[in-house]
Amino acid sequence: MGEFEVHRVRFFGLVPAGVRCLACHPRGSRLALARTDGAVEVYNFAANYFQEKVIPGHELRTVESLCWAAGDRLFGAGLSGDITEYDLSGLSAARGVDGGGGPIWSMVANSTGTQLAIGCEDGSVKIFQVVPGGIQFERNLDRRKGRVLCLSWHPSDTHIVAGSIDFFRVIDVTSGQTVQRIMVNHHVEKAKRECVVWAISLLSSGTVVSADSFGRVQFWDWEQGTLAESHTVSTSAALSLAVSEKEDSIIVGTSTGATYQLQLLPVTLGGQEKRWVRTKPFQFHSHDVRAVAHSPTALISGGLDAQLVIRPLMEKIQKKSYDAALRKFTFPHRRLVSCARKARLLLFQFSQYLELWRLGSTEETGKDGEVLPLCQMPEHLVQLKSKGPEHIYCSCVSPCGTWVGYSTASRFHLYRVHCDGDGVSLRKVPKVPKLLPPAYQLQFSADSDSLFVASARGSVHVFQLLEPGGCKHLHTLRPPSGVEGRCLPFLPRGSAQGGCVAEVSAVVPSVHCPLLQHHCTVPTYNCAVSALAIHPSTNNLVIAYSDQQLLEFSIPEKQYTSWSRAVQSRGLHRAWLERDSPITHITFNPKNPSHILLHDTYLLCVLDKSLPLPDDSTLLMNQSTLKQLPETARKRQLHAFKICKKFQPLLFMDLLDENCLVVVERPIMDFKTQLPLPVQQKKFGT
Amino acid sequence: MAALCESFTLRGPGPGGDGPGLCLEPGPGPDLVLLTERGRAATLFKISDQKPLGCWSLKHGQILTCPVVCNFETHEYIAVHDDKVLRIWKSEDISLDKAFKATLSADVYRIHSLPHGGLLVLFRGGGVRTLDELLEAPQQEIENVISGEAIRWSGAFMEDQQPVLIFTTEKDEDFFVYVQKPKLNSLHKYKLEQQESAKPLCFTAHITNQTVTLLCLYSNDSVYQILIPLQQDTEEEEEEKEILSKSLLLNFSISQAVLKGTSLVALDKDHIAVLGSLNAPKKQPKECLTIWNTKFQTLQTSKELPLGTSGQLWCYEEKFFLIHGKVLTVIMYKCETSSLAAAVGKLKCSQTPDVSSFMNWNTLEDEELVVSFQSQESVGLKAESRMNLRSKKSIDAELPFDSLSPGQVLARFKDAPNYLLETKFRRLMARAPTPDLQATVGGVVNVLTDRCKNSKYYPQDFLQEIVETWDLSYSLCPDLMAVGLEKKDMHLLQTCLERFPDIPEEITYACLKAFLSISEAHLENTDVNLDSVICYIDVESDKKEVKTEIVENGFSAQMDQDMCGTKIPKESQSWSDDESCPVGPQKAALLNAVLHSAYTETFLLPHLKNLPAQEAVLFLRYLYYLYVKCSGKVNTTLPGIRSPTINQIMDWMCLLLDAHFTVMVMLPEAKELLSNLHRFVRAQVRFYSELNKIEGSLRELQRLNHLRESHTYSIEVLEII
Repeated sequence: MGEFEVHRVRFFGLVPAGVRCLACHPRGSRLALARTDGAVEVYNFAANYFQEKVIPGHELRTVESLCWAAGDRLFGAGLSGDITEYDLSGLSAARGVDGGGGPIWSMVANSTGTQLAIGCEDGSVKIFQVVPGGIQFERNLDRRKGRVLCLSWHPSDTHIVAGSIDFFRVIDVTSGQTVQRIMVNHHVEKAKRECVVWAISLLSSGTVVSADSFGRVQFWDWEQGTLAESHTVSTSAALSLAVSEKEDSIIVGTSTGATYQLQLLPVTLGGQEKRWVRTKPFQFHSHDVRAVAHSPTALISGGLDAQLVIRPLMEKIQKKSYDAALRKFTFPHRRLVSCARKARLLLFQFSQYLELWRLGSTEETGKDGEVLPLCQMPEHLVQLKSKGPEHIYCSCVSPCGTWVGYSTASRFHLYRVHCDGDGVSLRKVPKVPKLLPPAYQLQFSADSDSLFVASARGSVHVFQLLEPGGCKHLHTLRPPSGVEGRCLPFLPRGSAQGGCVAEVSAVVPSVHCPLLQHHCTVPTYNCAVSALAIHPSTNNLVIAYSDQQLLEFSIPEKQYTSWSRAVQSRGLHRAWLERDSPITHITFNPKNPSHILLHDTYLLCVLDKSLPLPDDSTLLMNQSTLKQLPETARKRQLHAFKICKKFQPLLFMDLLDENCLVVVERPIMDFKTQLPLPVQQKKFGT
Repeated sequence: MAALCESFTLRGPGPGGDGPGLCLEPGPGPDLVLLTERGRAATLFKISDQKPLGCWSLKHGQILTCPVVCNFETHEYIAVHDDKVLRIWKSEDISLDKAFKATLSADVYRIHSLPHGGLLVLFRGGGVRTLDELLEAPQQEIENVISGEAIRWSGAFMEDQQPVLIFTTEKDEDFFVYVQKPKLNSLHKYKLEQQESAKPLCFTAHITNQTVTLLCLYSNDSVYQILIPLQQDTEEEEEEKEILSKSLLLNFSISQAVLKGTSLVALDKDHIAVLGSLNAPKKQPKECLTIWNTKFQTLQTSKELPLGTSGQLWCYEEKFFLIHGKVLTVIMYKCETSSLAAAVGKLKCSQTPDVSSFMNWNTLEDEELVVSFQSQESVGLKAESRMNLRSKKSIDAELPFDSLSPGQVLARFKDAPNYLLETKFRRLMARAPTPDLQATVGGVVNVLTDRCKNSKYYPQDFLQEIVETWDLSYSLCPDLMAVGLEKKDMHLLQTCLERFPDIPEEITYACLKAFLSISEAHLENTDVNLDSVICYIDVESDKKEVKTEIVENGFSAQMDQDMCGTKIPKESQSWSDDESCPVGPQKAALLNAVLHSAYTETFLLPHLKNLPAQEAVLFLRYLYYLYVKCSGKVNTTLPGIRSPTINQIMDWMCLLLDAHFTVMVMLPEAKELLSNLHRFVRAQVRFYSELNKIEGSLRELQRLNHLRESHTYSIEVLEII
């Protein structure tokens, strides 16, 4: 197939924010996650844990606690003292309601999802009623001195247990009175340090489970006020705790990065008497595990090292499948890099600023694996700071490299880049038409004379870019009425003929033709789209779904292409389907229409449609085998999927020209060194 | 092993007449015989029904002068009466008077009927004509070949599509053999070597590979074998008579008793049947029918015939026909291929009555045709019927063999004889692989092991081959290892341990015990796969080397000595003990197989506690030896295929110590071993803890190395094929 000159970029200094809290949807289909920068993400378990939705953060809005209530409504509360509801279809945070008790440390919903309880800095526990369109303050429960760090409802909603520093108390919801107050460090002789109850849970049997800063998980009988069992799981703090729905298993996260599972097991085989036993320790994280969740089949933990780890419980899984594998997510399932092919520029998106880099160059050529000497070093052209506290939703650089656009929750900005010699200057394009914010996706046309902005409710705005620095709103494309409301526009790369645009609602991509009208809708597929692109010459729409399926849809013929049908009838290779990270970007080789380039976090793949598809008996990743074979013997071994796993973790890959690739890597070690130091542990021998 | 089976009467005492006596010839079909009796009548019998199908007799005054024969092609009967008159009739004819009649010019000695060979008429003068020739010109002159000699016996055979007629003559105590090929007009005359004070009583012959084998019963109670080559060059007329030498085939002497044979029949290439009277000193001679194995010179079976016989014996279709008293008796027999084991009585007689006859035909595939003395014609018939049977069977049983399902095959051959079982199963397993072939092979093994239980039968090589070729598991053939243990087949057990993934701990333990208890001397002659030990077991030990190795580890033996709490009086002695392997290479290989097998501690431990103390100590000694060997290598792995890993060794050592802790503590001979072990383990622990110190530094170096590699930007060349 050929040799590529690969620009291997490792200067994208992305540091993903740590995981602050997790909330499992009561029905177990979705997981909400909040990061320390205030961003909220939603993962869909059914779609291979695809990161379905991302609501970027806000400087002033930290999220300490998330909870699902009233069905599919997601609420967050933080140290700003506000309770915020998230608009999951519009991907924005609604206006917050002040809790009225200072910073909110915890928030939990009752079993029916009709009431929210918040624990505040001032020691109060307040109940809010969830009403359509918002929440309503209901009443205050008994207030005691000491911040309420954690809360838990009894499954029958009659009591609330609130954990504070050195003690926790049980409050009767109906009367609002504290019925029991238990000192957790009562048993510790000469306790000098304070003992923080970081997490607490009230079981249906009346047992209170607490996790504290002494690294203990304790089981209390709150009515008697006695300690039933105490397990010291760690020498450092136990920070988080989650109980399974059946109340027979508990996961505990600690500040050393270790998580532990405790299980309620019979003392004798088949006996009635049961006891909590610490069964499985895991060390997936390098930093504090601030959040854990217990789904029916998996232990989920999120740490300050930005990793989300989903560890399936093997005993709960019937057959080996996608669900049975351990998953670790560190990087977002979306693109944070855009590339100006012609100008060889890269635009990196950080939470509050953008960086524009020019790639280096070389004049040498070499053989496979060689590192070529650089004749020009890469250059950091400009850093563009976003104004205001809002974080950036999306950004894009035009192919010619002269336009840069980005959007925050409330505003859309367009800049004109002037490169004169060594200097680079940015000029803001004035009078950008006001749009209904936010913009979810930006895309410049291949000739850089128009800009597509995907916006709320599936609409796409088309701007005409004017020299020397202006723009004009041309048109707005709207999806057919049926799919409106849950549309999440998704603009493909490589639109041809100046205006073919595909967009995607949650599952239904639809296509607008050059006449700026709705052209057709791609048949529904019951999984989320993770990437899509339109081939510039054939006008085929290539769609990658989060369950790793690949479909190719011919826009002119309004049907799937024959190749796509062949793929569907043959089925993709098992090893391909069992990958655990979704395809995040698709691009094409303009010189060879049969080539599709795609990548996920761990591999880049050149898909050659002209070659036979591999079946399950052949090796999918056969590049290294092929390299050992003589030229003549390779022919029979070739198949369509040419996979390279050399670059990991891969955040972005694009084709600059026919034989030139750019890959953006972010080695885990590189950003780990930028994280705050974890709890120091003395390692043997060091 | 040949055996005589049941007998029955074909014809009761009939009206006797005076004639040349009885004679029996094969009838026109299977299960039919033609009896010529007392000179006047011929009767066709159906043997299985024990009744006559037809009877033809001559007018009074006429006498049949030679046995009536049947033309197998036309189903006509041919008789000669009054020496010269030929009669031919069909079975529908009732009276012989009206039958076709031809008068010949010379006296007929006998007519031989050959399947596919027509009929040959032998005249008293030695001339031979085919019947067709004679019928064209009945009065043609017949030359006289022999002068003054009387024909004693004649036989006819087909060889190379050519009829061959052999007859023996006697003149003045000299015997001559004539071999005549009527179609080629060739005649050879030989003289038999004389035997002192004995003369031939009875002949029989068969032809194999252009050689006539003539068996001759002499009056000195011996059977001689005479080989006569059938010469191709008929042009060369032999003027002088060649003298044929004979070789002794068999002597009928049974511990002082002597069998006076009167009649002889060859059954197959190794067996002959002799009818005669057994003369024991001081006893009345008893007439009996005997079957002898000529290969091993043994009497296979005999049957007394107290009522006396006529001295004549015929044999067709695995049945003997003889006159016992006054009745014509049929005695069935079985005759298996002989083997040494069978001959010395070691082979278990697995014969069962319901063995289908085709099995035996199959074994006769390559054997010579068997000729009976009295009925030359039968040879052809027999061959033909054999052919028929075989081809018929091949339709019935052989062709469908491949279409039979494996289960059917297993069921069908469950009771088959041993030798057959193996070939059939080999064929079954050679079939194209099917999904359930694995299970089929398991079934095969089960059938084999069922048979092996409590019997001498044990197809060692076959079982070995199956286990090595197929990926079997213990659960597929649960009895195999038990049978292997019973038969002490160490090689099979070794292979099973290495290959089966699911051996129960009980069996693993049984194997271990068997391996430990078996004597080294016995093992030396046993074929055991030594792959796992060959690379590290050394025959000669070198004390020095190990010592230096230990020093290299950073701990001198002196240090160990100091660390060790108990004082060992003789240091060097103990080291030399450790050095040499406590077991022989064969036993080591077997124990390695045990070390390799999968087990669960919980289930193995109770069994392991039963291991006798001496054997436990021996095993521990061997494990210690392996451990020391392993530690000698930097990567703590032993060389060789399937050699035990350090983890397996350690696990077993712990397990063994767990199981026999108290015993080991009490046992005086274990004391030294345990203290050595303790010392060595302690040295190792210290050594590895030292390594820990280095590791931290090395890791840091590695990290720095990694950091240096990661430039933030590079342009690389990537080839995608």
